[in-house]
Amino acid sequence: MTALAVFLWMLNMSMDTFGHLAFKAAAGHGLDLDAFSHWKHMARSPWLWAGVICYTGEFFVWAAFLSQVPLAAGVMLGSINIVVLMIAGRLVFKECLTAWRMAGMLLITAGVILVGLGV
Amino acid sequence: MKRFYLIGFLCLMASDTLAQICFKFAGTAAEPLAFDVDWVLRIATSPWSYGAMVGYLCSFVSWMTLLRYAPIGPAFAASHLELVTVTIFSVWLFHEPLTLSKMAGGLLIVLGVLCLAKGESVVGEEHGQDAAQGESRA
Repeated sequence: MTALAVFLWMLNMSMDTFGHLAFKAAAGHGLDLDAFSHWKHMARSPWLWAGVICYTGEFFVWAAFLSQVPLAAGVMLGSINIVVLMIAGRLVFKECLTAWRMAGMLLITAGVILVGLGV
Repeated sequence: MKRFYLIGFLCLMASDTLAQICFKFAGTAAEPLAFDVDWVLRIATSPWSYGAMVGYLCSFVSWMTLLRYAPIGPAFAASHLELVTVTIFSVWLFHEPLTLSKMAGGLLIVLGVLCLAKGESVVGEEHGQDAAQGESRA
């Protein structure tokens, strides 16, 4: 993998993780409201718009990344987002990491390393 | 209900696969890659980008429809199995070689996703949000 491909991969990973965390932050407030008010509440949250901007940028970064690596390898490398997001969820939202989740994260990481070495 | 799941999963997989293939075509067509406005415009105006958006939109609709009835664990696993179909299409459309590292790595990733799905089913049962409850709402 070229340095450029690694940079785009990392950038995509950061944007994807930040976008998910931002949406979670936007959605987690005002849960006592009814559905319509909850949507209005979310639309006023800066987190929601930060997430939308992040995802829009990610669209371009992903296209750039896939132009630099083979498609199948790119999609497999993108699976690391699941692992990073779970670690971020643990750190930011104190979500628990059960044994099944840990096993899944380890297997995915091992798979991504294996694919990454072959690109 | 079985047929509903099957059609739902197939729609999800097909739309995710379509989106990734379109992304690859969009990225390749917009080459050479440069960090400038021209490149961004090439991507934004590429018909392949709209294909990717349609794919994502269909994937979103199938996912939300599926989630109304399907338990989250298996649904999550199924939503990441596009890895397998994308690989098959990458060999066919882009003549990418099926290397050993890709197959072994892909297998590990799929196993990992299955573990995560299993984990969510276990958590769901603890909270009483298992498949039975999901279906009773339907």
